[in-house]
Amino acid sequence: MLRFDYKKSSAFFTAGCRSCSHFSVLRVAMRMVAAGCVGLGMAQAAPATTIRAVGVENVYANVIGQIGGKYVTVSAIESNPNTDPHSFEASPAVAREIAAAQIVVRNGVGYDSWAKKILAADPNPQRKVIVVQDLFHLPQRTQNPHLWYKPETMPVVAQAVAQGLTALDPVHAAYFAAHLRQFDASLKPWYQAIARFRAQFGGTPVAVTEPVADYMLQAAGCDIKTPWNLQAAIMNGTDPSPQDVSTQNNLFKRHQVKVFVYNQQVTNSLTSAFLSNARAAKIPVVGAYETMPMGYSYQSWMLTEVHMLRNAVERGTSTTVLK
Amino acid sequence: MWSFGALLGNPGFFSSGPVQTALIVGACAALVSAVIGVFSVWRGNAFAGHALADVSSAGGAVSFLLGISPLLGFLGMAWIAAFSMEFLGIRIGRERDLTTGIVLGAGLGLSALFLYLDVTTTSTTGAAVSVMFGSLFAIPQSLITPALAASGSVFLLVGLFYRPMMLAAVDPDLAAVRGVSLRWVGLLQLLALGLAVAVCALAIGAVLATALLIGPAGAAIRLSRRPGQAILWAMVIGLTAVWGGIWMAYASYYWFSGNAWPVSFFVVALVFLFYLAAVLFAKVAGLAAHPKPVTWPHCET
Repeated sequence: MLRFDYKKSSAFFTAGCRSCSHFSVLRVAMRMVAAGCVGLGMAQAAPATTIRAVGVENVYANVIGQIGGKYVTVSAIESNPNTDPHSFEASPAVAREIAAAQIVVRNGVGYDSWAKKILAADPNPQRKVIVVQDLFHLPQRTQNPHLWYKPETMPVVAQAVAQGLTALDPVHAAYFAAHLRQFDASLKPWYQAIARFRAQFGGTPVAVTEPVADYMLQAAGCDIKTPWNLQAAIMNGTDPSPQDVSTQNNLFKRHQVKVFVYNQQVTNSLTSAFLSNARAAKIPVVGAYETMPMGYSYQSWMLTEVHMLRNAVERGTSTTVLK
Repeated sequence: MWSFGALLGNPGFFSSGPVQTALIVGACAALVSAVIGVFSVWRGNAFAGHALADVSSAGGAVSFLLGISPLLGFLGMAWIAAFSMEFLGIRIGRERDLTTGIVLGAGLGLSALFLYLDVTTTSTTGAAVSVMFGSLFAIPQSLITPALAASGSVFLLVGLFYRPMMLAAVDPDLAAVRGVSLRWVGLLQLLALGLAVAVCALAIGAVLATALLIGPAGAAIRLSRRPGQAILWAMVIGLTAVWGGIWMAYASYYWFSGNAWPVSFFVVALVFLFYLAAVLFAKVAGLAAHPKPVTWPHCET
């Protein structure tokens, strides 16, 4: 049962996207009905003293929700699938939400340095702050910040979350521990899918726009042909070099890649040009996301990404939009 | 073609798609800004030109929101700003810098707002950098035709009204005596200036456009007193700076093991060096700095 507090997260989602608020509220409502999700009712029936938790990236909020269950109220900050989280700008409401949280999980590696500033501006020794970068002792110069795509990341994060929640609410330690075991077990299908892909299609040459799914592609044994400097230029919105652009276009033109992994949230005129070149060369396109798409859990999202990759390599099917 | 680039130490330069687009759009920017720049410098309008370019960034930011061509965005905002400055009385000497500065501030404020709306409502990676500092190598091929059309319009406008424009820029009183309608000429000049600003902003960014708009013109008027010659000098300097900058940015890929430096930096650096060289040359050759040509336009030819 998914106990992620949809009401809260959708409120944040709409706050970040006023122009489409009616539409997204409707969409969230429809999705909850469609999924038969009763999480909302459960959240309202939760004990009065739930732990206030914030996942700066909505994927971490989802994991907190899964571990903390009915004893936490979780909000997600970065959850709008139509924007680029790399260029997120925090509002005062977001700052208040983070400051009021008892437990915060953020990615680090420069991905959410604004959240670091907000936390530093409002010091609170009681607040548990989990920085995923620190859990793995990653240096600040780590080039690819998309840690949640790395298979070994989430069990460690979930464990840290369980520890944090237990420290805040020791009475329910057994409850959190049980959810942690459940969470770890639920990652198995994703791991198996990655291992099967690797065994069957290891060494598959792929092109990408930017490094969002690189960790997962590497775990699946894919050979990423796109030059790193081009990926970094697209991710950071800086000048690409013409040499790298030509290399990428030749990957499509000469059919040197089997799949094009396209980040739906980090787009500009250059990535759209790549997209049309890939389509013209009939290279299947797989859409990747920075933030967890609406209606998914962390596990189901990651598993779907592997399925999409497999469909592309096996049958040449393009799947760009996750619904 | 490929071997020509390799021969000069830049393999694949001429056959690269992004380079070809950059060379064409860059040339458009260099040529129109040479013509318009010389007029602006003579009119004493350099700061206004700079302000227009900066303000046009708001249009560039809006283009991401509306999903329209960035060239249209830059152009629309440049025209709006040009006409508001004209309306607010940009001509009155002492008040001019003040009015220009105030419009400039308001325009950049709008840019801040629109860039914020860009990143919070749509996926527009790198919008701020590309609007402000340009990215010649990332310009889509589809923008070549609009850029050529905009530059063609500038040359058409200036070609048709060269004499009255020149006279109004150099000596408004004489122009009025000779029956030139300063209002109409001013209007045409603003239209042309807006177009030039839009092409420049597309090429090297709204903030840096000013370098191309007044740099080569500033150098040119130190090299020649004859209006036609000055424009020609500005074209040569502008074109050399832009194409040289593109060449160096391409080569920098090999200098820094794949971490190429931004092309706008090289273009602007070259413009500055050419300006310094022109100033030095004028000093050595004993030419005094002279913002206005001595050969009156009506005496030329």
